[in-house]
Amino acid sequence: MAITAIRPTGEVRSGAAEWARAFRAMIRWNLLSLRLWLALIASVQVLAGAGFVLGIALFFDHIPASAALYVTTGVPVINLILVGLVLGPQLVADQKIQHSYEFLRTLPVPQTAVAAAWYTVCLISGIPGVLISLLIAEARYQITLAPSPQIVPAILLTAFTGTMMGYAIGHAVPSPMTTRLITQLLIFAMFGFTPILFPVGQLPGWLGTVNWWLPFGHMATIVRAGLTTGMVTGVATSYLVVAVWGAASAVLAAWAMGRRR
Amino acid sequence: MTHGRSATLAPAPLAPAIRAGPGYWLSSLWWMLRFDFGQARQWAATMVLVQVLMGSGMALMYGFFYPRVTPVIAAYIATGTPALALIPLGFVMLPGQVGQQKLAGTFDFIWSLPVPRTAQAMSTFLLYTVLSLPGMVLALVVATFRYGVTLSISPEIAPAAVLCSLMAVSVGFGMALAIPNPMITNVITNTLVFVVLLFSPIVFPPGNLPGWLFAVHRALPFYNMAVVIRAGLTHGLVTGVTQSFLILTAWTVAASAVTAWVVGRRR
Repeated sequence: MAITAIRPTGEVRSGAAEWARAFRAMIRWNLLSLRLWLALIASVQVLAGAGFVLGIALFFDHIPASAALYVTTGVPVINLILVGLVLGPQLVADQKIQHSYEFLRTLPVPQTAVAAAWYTVCLISGIPGVLISLLIAEARYQITLAPSPQIVPAILLTAFTGTMMGYAIGHAVPSPMTTRLITQLLIFAMFGFTPILFPVGQLPGWLGTVNWWLPFGHMATIVRAGLTTGMVTGVATSYLVVAVWGAASAVLAAWAMGRRR
Repeated sequence: MTHGRSATLAPAPLAPAIRAGPGYWLSSLWWMLRFDFGQARQWAATMVLVQVLMGSGMALMYGFFYPRVTPVIAAYIATGTPALALIPLGFVMLPGQVGQQKLAGTFDFIWSLPVPRTAQAMSTFLLYTVLSLPGMVLALVVATFRYGVTLSISPEIAPAAVLCSLMAVSVGFGMALAIPNPMITNVITNTLVFVVLLFSPIVFPPGNLPGWLFAVHRALPFYNMAVVIRAGLTHGLVTGVTQSFLILTAWTVAASAVTAWVVGRRR
């Protein structure tokens, strides 16, 4: 009695068309699984953006024009990385708690398509917040911004690095509790201890040096370079630092997802 | 327990004394304090640490937003941080903790214990008031050190700090009890803390606010907390201290009344 081997399915699932199909499927997957969160995400984005743009004026008797300009051009960075860097790791942590993490990893889609889909969703969820924050700031402070085509790569790279850093934290940190703690520290540090919303000169010297090695201040530099003329210098270095952080985070996330457990 | 076994047991005799009166209430409070502090052993250290870090962190970070920190700005930041350190504990962590107790069913268990519910509520008040003090004090120490502010501390600071803690804890507890769904409490408290940290005249003078917003803040507790604490730490920086004390007392009484109403009603 001979047992015939089971024939594998006829086609090998690879190539660009298969990748594009997986990418579209994962975008739908992300949007559907976030549908309960979308209203909350939108309101948090607007609150954080508009709240900071308007609230900063209360710190001063008369707000100096430069302080208003720094906040206005810094808030877009927060809008762009909020979902990828803060919400993203918490979603992965929740998946680990609910045991859907392993299930998601078994889906027959390339992991690069999964990551690309998540990046796209983070980018899309950030841009409306950016526009609203900028419009409110222009109206409140009579600032005239001078957006140049440079803003496009700045936005794409900032969102990419933020999302990849969040991706690395979510996948490489084993304990969901630690992930939550890290993201909460990050959000606190992002607002108060990095030169996103104010010039680096207002930090103590050593903290400024630490921030040179971190991506946050550089993200603000490249976004500022795209929105204004003559406000920042050393833009090429900033692009380089942000890109290195993005690439290193992507490699770390890939390592964490690829290793055997 | 099987029927056979329970049939052999004699019914428990009734307790000889009536369980009421101040003596009984105090001994209940003692037991509830032991219960609450025993439970808190797991997370109290983390909570105090977060409290200290957040309080000192806020004391430092407000200064970074100013191109030049003048002595007046420094005095406002330094004397505002104790109130800031208190607000997250009372308005966010306490409702969050009660919400978790509600979700886990612990809350109903505590209510089923044979102790007066007022003693249970008082025990929670005391626990959180004690937990809030280290963060307040350390935030103040960090801020005075960082900004080189000289404080003139008067005895008024003691009633001010106690009233502020009691008010924050009462309002947080009242909210957590009065709103049935923990998720809604969570959204309200998180929005609240954001609005408070940005738009309240705690670390900056009230003159920076538009008139209508200041009028709103005179009736809300946050600005008044800052006023009474600042009055205990400085000379001549604030006015209308008596009014602020009265408003804080009114909030405490109102929140305690809500708590008493929720605690007393049957479900």
